[in-house]
Amino acid sequence: MTGHARIVRRSIAGLLLAGATVVSAACGSPNRAGSGSTPPAGQKSAPTRGGSIVGSVRADPASFNRLVAADRTSELVSVLTQAKLVRVNKTTQQVEPWLAESWTADRDGRRYTLTLRRGVTFSDGVPFTSDDVVFTFAAVYDAKVDSVLADAMTVAGRPMEVVALDPQTVSIAFAAPFGPGVRILDNLPILPKHKLEPALQAGTFAKAWTTSTPPADLAGLGPFVLHEYMPGQRMVFDRNPHYWRTTTDGAALPYLDRLTVELIPDQNAEMLRLDAGQLDVMNEDLTPDAYGQMKQAARDGRIQLVDIGTAIQADSFWFNLKPGAFDGDPRAGWLQRDELRHAISMAVDRKAFIDAVFLGAAEAVYGPTSPSNKDWYWTGTPTVPYDPARAKALLASIGVPPGARFSVLVQRGRPRFERGAAFIRDELKKVGLTVDVVALEGNAVVQRLLKARYDAAYFAPTITDTDPVNQQDFFMSAGPFHLWNMAQAKPATDWERHIDELMQRQSASTDAAERKRLFDEVQRTFVEHEPVIYFAARHLYVAVSSRIAAMKPADDLFPVLWAPDEIAVRR
Amino acid sequence: MRGYILRRLAFALFLVVAVSSASLILTELAPGDYASGALGMRARPEAIERARERYGLNRSLGEQYRDWVAHAVRFDFGTSLLYDRPVRELIPERAANTAVLALTALAIATLVGLPLGVVSGSRSGGAVPHVIRAASVVLLSMPPLLTSLFLVFVAARTGWVPIAGMRSAAVPEGGAFVDLLKHLVVPAAAIALPLAAMFERLQAQAMRDAIVQPFVVATLARGVSRRRVVWRDALKVALRPVAAVYGLVVGTLLSGSFAVEVITAWPGLGRLMLDALGARDVYLVAGCAGTGAVFLACATLASDVALAFVDPRVRE
Repeated sequence: MTGHARIVRRSIAGLLLAGATVVSAACGSPNRAGSGSTPPAGQKSAPTRGGSIVGSVRADPASFNRLVAADRTSELVSVLTQAKLVRVNKTTQQVEPWLAESWTADRDGRRYTLTLRRGVTFSDGVPFTSDDVVFTFAAVYDAKVDSVLADAMTVAGRPMEVVALDPQTVSIAFAAPFGPGVRILDNLPILPKHKLEPALQAGTFAKAWTTSTPPADLAGLGPFVLHEYMPGQRMVFDRNPHYWRTTTDGAALPYLDRLTVELIPDQNAEMLRLDAGQLDVMNEDLTPDAYGQMKQAARDGRIQLVDIGTAIQADSFWFNLKPGAFDGDPRAGWLQRDELRHAISMAVDRKAFIDAVFLGAAEAVYGPTSPSNKDWYWTGTPTVPYDPARAKALLASIGVPPGARFSVLVQRGRPRFERGAAFIRDELKKVGLTVDVVALEGNAVVQRLLKARYDAAYFAPTITDTDPVNQQDFFMSAGPFHLWNMAQAKPATDWERHIDELMQRQSASTDAAERKRLFDEVQRTFVEHEPVIYFAARHLYVAVSSRIAAMKPADDLFPVLWAPDEIAVRR
Repeated sequence: MRGYILRRLAFALFLVVAVSSASLILTELAPGDYASGALGMRARPEAIERARERYGLNRSLGEQYRDWVAHAVRFDFGTSLLYDRPVRELIPERAANTAVLALTALAIATLVGLPLGVVSGSRSGGAVPHVIRAASVVLLSMPPLLTSLFLVFVAARTGWVPIAGMRSAAVPEGGAFVDLLKHLVVPAAAIALPLAAMFERLQAQAMRDAIVQPFVVATLARGVSRRRVVWRDALKVALRPVAAVYGLVVGTLLSGSFAVEVITAWPGLGRLMLDALGARDVYLVAGCAGTGAVFLACATLASDVALAFVDPRVRE
């Protein structure tokens, strides 16, 4: 089936017409522009209420209960039907009041008092109170629930203490001072106590709200309610008549009356439907190849291509640095050396890489933070020159023999990774390194990485929040996402220990300038040892139908649907 | 005859058990499992371990298989790891959708392929048999996968019929049945066209063999019209070879429909199985594969029994 799917993608791509010129979107706004519910740049009149759109996902939801389902579709259902205490605006990366309209912090940044909005009701008309907040936290921390969000809702490895002071006020205390403060609350949708408390008490919360639950039994605080779910086909969401949010001039949100989410297996099928007028919003940003194919449709006015800006995360190339991973292997003397990674960084021409892999639509990256992450990027990040001669000398200095060989794991069926790994292989051949690109199915790649049974890997970690505290699992040596040597009991190297200390301090600091300074130091240490080599961060484009009149596209898991209440159509 | 049917039934049962068991074991043996895939790379090892324990994936393969078989004999095929719902709840609706698609395609292929085969096989001269043969060769050389891609492309360009899916979000003018028929055009044609070509080729050859039989020549010599002889007398004989392969053809029809389902977003067993395989949902994979085997076994059994009725030699 995988093979078939790949053939399908390639074949449909071949059938589609390629265009010639870049057409910027009529409704597109540059990355991180503005906040609130105002129409995007280029929008002449205010968005109007009514109408419907069709979006897409790749697979059925695993559950309607976000606390126990980590898949992308379940998360989209949550985005559409539920709301959080605060929201990180993906266009500005700033925290915005959401269900909590305001908050105050005590002096050491450990305890926050949140005031909830008055008059807010769930989609079934039951009032929302602080009891729902306390209930949701109890559910996420319940051992029987074993929530997929539990880790994301801990500070210093411990749960928060949540107390309802009155129906409109909640006190949240962290186990330790926490720099990002209430930003962490963006991870948790608030659930209705009146619907789910019996399940939590009975120990069956993890089985509550499965995909067979009738839509009428669900309730949420989000802009839409699930109207119908047809497995394998679509989910239909209707406007939540009790939704609490309004525009700045008092008009009720969401604009749309209905949002249908079709299950479409791949991006080529999505493009066909978009071009045929049967789809309004694609599931994710366009691949470089897809962008080329959609340009003609955009030029003809059938669709809009929206430029979101450069991704906040670059694709990553790293070696297995687990101590002892290559014991008895003759390559052990050089495979884990800093010099090897520096040499590879110098041996790859990033400009040519961008042209070959991203068809020119990317930006060179030299450190763990993309320049597009303006709040946290270290401006002192040194650029690495393309210098094969120096790379060769470096390799010789650590005793890498001519024709030395290693393998690179990539995920099969992802042209971007396969093309990137092939380009790296060709570049490294010029400096005497032989690279075997091993393409495996996604689950097999994950398994090999978790068991540290690989030489090197080329992959794209998903990062949708710019704050480094949300990347602690990557930077900290004990983190499960510390790609090169995961979940260490204690730091394997001095520089990792140093990064651990810096990350702990910046996480605990409530002084923004101090946090920035500390994270700059993390980045400086990181590039000095380069455990992960970055080459480029791609430019992001989304394609939407010409009917879309207002939206807020951003670098997110759901580039358009992350702000569903602000999408409007021309009528 | 009774013994023959019992033997075929026993084989059908063996086929279903073997296919579902093999798919469960192979999915288990493939690298990775549901827990690590579902929680992803960012999950803590202990969280993955807890999930494995919860789903019973930390047990040995033999233990898991034994447990599955013990439940399967009571028609409990386990709970889907991906959807957290019983497999026997998830399969019927999708199997019905696959059956709708496969039977429609089979009907089209039979109604188009057999008459064309009779026409091309019973005529020795003229342009018609040549045109039919050429079209069949072209369609036979295009697997359903490519045919569906072509049809999807045509549907997208013309807008005549829906590109994909099974039903429209809102019931359009004409009602739900007309809407379903419109959605069937692309996937059913994609499966039916190569199949019709196969039937045409088989029927044409069988007809060519039948038309030279002495009893056909004698009937023609008695002055009975050629059309009557071909469509009544020769066809009876010429249908036997086609009936003999009908069961096998249904098998290829189902495997072909899986690929077409994926391309045209038809919510059938193929899509469900692809999702289950991707997620390493072992019980759902076994359930889908077993259901596919049930389809194949039923079709083969029906074909074998029908053939045994018309040709007593088969029973031996």
